[in-house]
Amino acid sequence: MDSADDPPTSTLALLFQSEFASEEQQNQGFIDWGWLADNFTEDVVPAFFQHIFLCFVSLGIALVIAVPLGILCARYRALYTPVTLITGFFYTIPSFAMFTLLIFIVGFSVGKTPAIIALVLYSLLVMVRNVVTGLDSVPPETKDAAKGMGLTDRQILFGVELPLALPVIVAGMRIAMVTVIGIAVIGAYIGAGGLGDLIFDGITRDFPTLWFTGAVLSTLLAIGADLVFVRIERMLSPWSRRARGAT
Amino acid sequence: MQEFLQVFQREDFIRNFIVHIEISVLAVLFGVLVAIPVAIAVNRSDSASTIAINIGNLGRAIPSLALLVLMFPFFGLGFDNALFAVTLLGIPPILINAVVGLRQVNPQTLDAAKGMGLSGRQILSGVQVPIAAPIIFAGIRTAAVQVVASVTLGTFVGAGGLGDYIVEGFQRNSTEIALAGALSVAFLALITEILFAGLERGFTPKGLRIAAKRGK
Amino acid sequence: MIEFKNVSKTYAGSDNPVVENLSFEIADGEICVLVGPSGCGKTTSMRMVNRLIEPTEGEIIIDGQKNTDMSGTELRRKIGYAIQQTGLFPHRTIADNVGTVPKLLGWDKSRTASRADELLDLVGLPPDQYRDRYPAELSGGQQQRVGVARALAADPPIMLMDEPFGAVDPITRDRLQNEFLHIQEDIKKTIVFVTHDIDEGIKMGDKIAILKEGGVLAQYDTPENILARPASDFVQSFVGGDRVLKRLSLTLVGDIDLEPANGNSGDLPHIDEKWNLKDALSEIIGAGADRGLVVTGGDGAEGGNGGSRGTITLDSIRKISHGSEVPRG
Repeated sequence: MDSADDPPTSTLALLFQSEFASEEQQNQGFIDWGWLADNFTEDVVPAFFQHIFLCFVSLGIALVIAVPLGILCARYRALYTPVTLITGFFYTIPSFAMFTLLIFIVGFSVGKTPAIIALVLYSLLVMVRNVVTGLDSVPPETKDAAKGMGLTDRQILFGVELPLALPVIVAGMRIAMVTVIGIAVIGAYIGAGGLGDLIFDGITRDFPTLWFTGAVLSTLLAIGADLVFVRIERMLSPWSRRARGAT
Repeated sequence: MQEFLQVFQREDFIRNFIVHIEISVLAVLFGVLVAIPVAIAVNRSDSASTIAINIGNLGRAIPSLALLVLMFPFFGLGFDNALFAVTLLGIPPILINAVVGLRQVNPQTLDAAKGMGLSGRQILSGVQVPIAAPIIFAGIRTAAVQVVASVTLGTFVGAGGLGDYIVEGFQRNSTEIALAGALSVAFLALITEILFAGLERGFTPKGLRIAAKRGK
Repeated sequence: MIEFKNVSKTYAGSDNPVVENLSFEIADGEICVLVGPSGCGKTTSMRMVNRLIEPTEGEIIIDGQKNTDMSGTELRRKIGYAIQQTGLFPHRTIADNVGTVPKLLGWDKSRTASRADELLDLVGLPPDQYRDRYPAELSGGQQQRVGVARALAADPPIMLMDEPFGAVDPITRDRLQNEFLHIQEDIKKTIVFVTHDIDEGIKMGDKIAILKEGGVLAQYDTPENILARPASDFVQSFVGGDRVLKRLSLTLVGDIDLEPANGNSGDLPHIDEKWNLKDALSEIIGAGADRGLVVTGGDGAEGGNGGSRGTITLDSIRKISHGSEVPRG
């Protein structure tokens, strides 16, 4: 194995040690709880909220693009394949490379902008695909009945199709959100801020407390978001839930 | 342009390229070796299958960089760290797709197979797995692309790989070096996607391809 | 010979048996139809023969041996199995599907292949056209035929068929039923045939077992006897209010004694001798006559007595429907 100090033999033991150690000894443990307590609001919390901001903005923009695009693709099927290919192409490019290309080829300066652009591009494939799948899943008889009752196309879209497609669309948002939270961590490298800052700083300064906090928090954030969206998904489809006889 | 091409001729570039591929291939391989047997094992139980899918979903949520650095206390820096973390990151897509794929086989088909006298193992290998193969391969494809992307981040735990050039490019403010890294990684990822898409199609039984075309 | 001996099935956690104390015998070479309303346990009973479901009480004896004397897998390879949705393997060719059990039993490749061809031919699918196709390329009716061929592949003495013609339209179903009865004339398998349709049961069955909800045997007899003498109110209402007419449909015109045709038979409705009595009755009544002229072959459009075998009167039909014994063609 290469450089670096030998890893602590038992991380947990050290974590516990620092609980009971004195002020000086605490600074030698793996996690500097003291530092954490002191700097929580200054360093950790802002990073956390920056991260959430990045992800929400990106997902919001992706939504605004993907829903109309998805509706178009569902209606005009010929559009779907090229759209899938293009969004799929962006999705396949590793995020770190994508950031690099945006900065060095397209010429964005480091900061939030290239990060948000990349995050939006990554979300598009899943979002568009789920909008189309969701709309496809609306039974044709239901649309037919609505039309037969005299609803206009627009009323059918907003009153029947989109509501019925919503669970699948939200499922797509869930995947997109979780993906975006993960990629935003890397975005810190190009100056976007967020929890990745803690990680990169921690690595550069060889300060485990920082990167450990960043890693754990970003993981918790991603898992938390996943669970929240699962909840939302379940709340949104009471009719299928009751048909299946409750979860 | 000259400088750009020169990067590829650096000795360490070839080495990092190979390391990148090495970790990727091993990670996908180990991922398959872990995920597929687990999927087969949980297939007989509905509750176990659901638990497996839930674990997979949670695993998929974990940010790549976070997992890589979290491995540090256990593996330190370097190849092992990256390999272990990236393998873990690649398991969820394969696991989820394998479990779902096996579950989705038409129950009537399975009933007919059992009724004709196929043993449990024969049903699994002769009917379930071939029919689930396309979905399973789609999962492996997703995992492979994810793995290639994650290995890029291996640079931050000292594992080498093509991410090194992106970092070097940023640090030395050199477009050529950064792009050499970024473009080669992007290229690698795209090749992987295309390769596995081809494999997926190759492993789809002809009868299923026809059925899909007819929307059955 | 299949014998159900006090067979019962109750699922764990439930108080009510799905099948209750079922006892009856199926003779060799007979089609025994299990029929009844949903929840009567007919499919469950059938699946206990090849042990896809195990009885909670009682035993099933096949040719003198308990069906538990060997492993389930071994047992099933000796019993043909055809279900409603066919369950064809979508990833295998038609020929491979048909050859599934022979392959399990270790037949060599050429024997399996020629057997598959033989059976495809038997069920009306020319092997050259169909053997290399895939299930998704076939229509519903064709898939059902493949399902039957697959069940026959290893030439098992016993077959279990669960609504094997259920998933197609009535016209195709009628044709499949006729073709299968035709095949059965040659192969004479012992068949347990499950259906919810009493008409299909009457048409296909040598014997019919009518099951009530809860898996109780309501009557087990030939179709004629069940129609002539239903054993209970349940059976009577299950076979339908037109059971007398149904019974007439079991006899063909050509099989009964006819009255000689007299001179003025020119106006009489023509009855093909291949028709059954029910259709003959319908034709005569519809023509407003009291008898019909029975003709052989073609549609008997030519006038005169050429090709006529005699007349059939409403009166004779009425007498037959009152009689207790009815000759079966």
